[in-house]
Order: sequence, then C-alpha cells, then structure tokens
Amino acid sequence: MSETQTAEITEVEAKARLLDLKSLDNPKAMKLYRRFDGIIILVLFLFIVLGIQIHFTLTAGDWDYWIDWRDRRWWPLVAPFSLLLFIAPFQYGLWARVRLPVAGTAVTLLLCLVSWVSRYFNFYEFTHFPMSFVFPSTYIALGILLDCSLVVTRSLLVSSVIGGGLFGALVYPLNWAFMAPYKVPVELHGMLMSVADLMGYQYVRTTTPEYLRIIEESTLRTFGGSVTPLTAVFSGLCGMVIYMIFLWVGSRVNAMEKFTKRIV
Amino acid sequence: MATENTQSIALDSSADSKVEGHFKRNRFVYGFGALVVAIGAALRIYLDTMGFSVGTDFYSDEFQVYWMPLLYGELILLGGFTVILSTYLWLTRETDASAISKELELKRYWKMLSIFSVMAIWGGLIGANAIESDAAWHQVTIRDTDFTPTHIIIFYFALPALTAMLVPAFIWVHTRVPAYMNKISIPFLAVVCGILMIMPNYGFNEWGHTFFYAEELFAAPIHYGFVFLGWSLFFLIPLAMQIISHMARLISETTAEGYQAS
Repeated sequence: MSETQTAEITEVEAKARLLDLKSLDNPKAMKLYRRFDGIIILVLFLFIVLGIQIHFTLTAGDWDYWIDWRDRRWWPLVAPFSLLLFIAPFQYGLWARVRLPVAGTAVTLLLCLVSWVSRYFNFYEFTHFPMSFVFPSTYIALGILLDCSLVVTRSLLVSSVIGGGLFGALVYPLNWAFMAPYKVPVELHGMLMSVADLMGYQYVRTTTPEYLRIIEESTLRTFGGSVTPLTAVFSGLCGMVIYMIFLWVGSRVNAMEKFTKRIV
Repeated sequence: MATENTQSIALDSSADSKVEGHFKRNRFVYGFGALVVAIGAALRIYLDTMGFSVGTDFYSDEFQVYWMPLLYGELILLGGFTVILSTYLWLTRETDASAISKELELKRYWKMLSIFSVMAIWGGLIGANAIESDAAWHQVTIRDTDFTPTHIIIFYFALPALTAMLVPAFIWVHTRVPAYMNKISIPFLAVVCGILMIMPNYGFNEWGHTFFYAEELFAAPIHYGFVFLGWSLFFLIPLAMQIISHMARLISETTAEGYQAS
C-alpha cells in the first residue's frame, strides 16, 4: 500500500470517526443505537443462557442438582472452577472492547434464573423430585464481587487474583444459609447421617448409584472441621488460575474478530 | 442463478423513516419468535404427556408408535429445511456488493439481528427447558436405548434445529450483507461449526454409554465433547463486535444531517 493510499484511508477513516462522534448528539441516531443495544443484549443473554446451561450441567451439574451432593470438599471446588472458566472469555471481550465489567454478574444471574425455571419444570414437574431436594445454589454475589474487583482495580490481572480468589473461596459461606437445615445430623437405624443424606437415600437416582457419589472423599478424615476452610482456600487458588488461563483464551478468541478469504 | 443486480429498496418515504422503519416493520422476529416458542411448548407438552406413559421401553409397541415416527419426522423436517433453504439462499445470492445501497445494507443488518433474535429465543428455550430434562429423566429410568424420549426432543430436534437455523443464516449473511460478502467471518464460522459438531459428538456419547460407561454422571468426561463444542459460543463476543462496528457506522452515516438517501 502506497503512502498516498494510506493517507487517503486515514482521512476517510477520520471523517467517519467524526461522523460517529457527531451522531452521539443526533437523537435519531441515538434512538437507533439504543434499540440496537437492546437487541444485542437480548441475543447475547439468551445465548449465554444456552452456553452456561450446557457448560455448567456437564461439568458441575451433579453437585448443583442435589442437596446431598453439596458437600464441603468437591462442590465448593468444582462449581467456581466451572463458572470462572465460562465467565472469563466473556469478561475479556466485554471489558477489552466495550469496557463493560458485567460478565460475572450476568452469567451467574442468568444461571440462577434459568436453573430455577429448569429445576421446577424438569426435576419437580417432570420427574417429581421435591424442590427442597433439587433447588439450585446461588453464585450471584460471587459474580458481583468478581465484577466489582475489575471495576475497582481496572485490571484483568489484578481482578483475577482478587475476584477469582474470592469467587472460589466464598461459595460455601454464601450458600450456607440455604444449606444449614440440611446439615443437621439425624440418626436412622443406628446410623448417623445428615438430613440431606437421608433425602438422598430416599430418592434413589437410577443412573448415579452410590459408587458414583463424588462427595466427602478423603484419606485423612482427622482433619475434621478444617476441611471446609481448606477447600475454600484451595478453591480460591484454583479460581485465580483458571480465571487467568481463560482470560488468555478470551484474548485469543477476541483476536479472531477477522475475515478470511472465501473458499468457494 | 446468482443475482447480478441487487433489489432496490422498497421504501418510499424519507431517509429517516427508511432507517427507523426497518425494525418497526420487521415482523420476522415476532412471527418466527412466536413460532419457535409454540413448537417448543408443543414438544414439551408432548414429552410431559407421553414420556413416562409410553416412552420408557424402547422395545414396546407403544414406543414404536408414539416416539419413533416423531424421530423420523424431525430428521426429515430439519434435514429438508436446512438443505432446501441453504440451497435456495446460495442460488439466489448476490454478486455485486457495491450495488447495495446503505439503506438496504442497514435494513439487512436489522434483519440479521432479527434472525439472531429468533435463534437466541430458541437457544434460551433449550437452556431453560430441554437440557436438564435429560438429566432428570436419566435419574428415574433405566437406559435401554439411544433414542430416549428426551434424546428425541433434545438431541434430534432442539439442537439440530439451532443448526438448521444457523447454517442458512450463515449463508444469508455471507451472500447478502456487503461487509461479509466474498469472505468468511471467522467468529460466525466458529459458532456455526461448534453447534454443528455437537451432533457428530452424539455418536461418541452414545457409543461410550453402550460400551464403557452405562451410568449418567453428568460431569463425567464422556460428556466433555459437548462442553468443548459449547465453548464455540465464546465467539459470540467477537461476532457481536463485528456487527456493532459495521452497524454503528451505517447508522451514523444514514442519520447524519444532509445525508441523501440513494
């Protein structure tokens, strides 16, 4: 490309950019921009609903379906790991291109809404599990924390350490209020178990038999009461790492906003 | 049979109303949006009504009467829809991008967003209604076939229907919208390919369930193919940025003071 051509393109581009700026004072243009924003948000959110359901169901769904699966060792580790992995590429794109720090809140809120609808229609109405056994966990506050850490620090890297860490660490305390009644110990036929365990034994799940119950696995049970905080800290670490890795994936994905030559 | 000259814009009022009217007068999204919601509701009611009454034993006569014809019908319908519509859109493609006026181009962007809205509504319905129905189904039944009622709805209709909309949409955009003509949008291609490849992945999933993994732990590695392909939706952000940058420029140009409509 010659220098003249480059100058020409720059001039054209400069004029177009000036026109873009002027259009911000044009009520007609602004009306169309707002309509256009509304449609883009609707489309993106509905596709995110699909994406997060496929992703979360098939990576952490089992721990979120059943109250007896929400243990202190696996669920607080698997759930934030899965969520941060999905949030990060969207966060990168929305922050790098349009400076919107909303991906964490949007994904967790949409997951919460869609999970309630889905649990009601599928687990309660369709297969008749009680809602008290299959209600979804909440992660919305974690999404808000993640986004707030980005707003405050304005750095994806620092927010991945602070926000990613908090997201991983706070799953259990955030949901504790909903879960506490199910952790009350009960005795049945001389066996000590929790209310959640008892419900799990009552509602037999045909294709996840007991040997697939990936909860409370451990080798040194004498750690006793410190399992929950230990998992929280480890989950925080995993949150930071996975969030950073998938922010990088997001940067690669967003770098592909390109066209290639047509094959046919 | 490719079209040499583009159609002229069929709006006869001022430039402002041309630009504003594109979305208002576009009944596509309302009509097709209502249609996909109706289809989704009908299938859901059918699943709720016939799922457990005649759908738990593949080898029963009732299953062959009430479920297998639905499967064959879905495959024929979606296959036919995709092939016929895609072929039509390709054969009636436009070849001269420079002959398309800015108003018509903007009109087509609004239409493109309408198409995406319909697909997004369908995607949202799948997410809210379909995916976990399979999870719930497997927890109360014994698996005896790849063609369970929930699979007939989700695997062989809901997700293929999304592909059946995405493929013609991809062709329409790349043959009608100037910024996309004579080249291929990589993020759009990634979204289409990711969703499309979920269907071949059924093969691995079902083969694995008949061979080495009879259980249905949803987070099992046998299902990770679906997860990986679902990640193609990450490309929606770069795709949205492509659309935003082109469309915002067109809006600023066509609403500028002194702009002469072509």
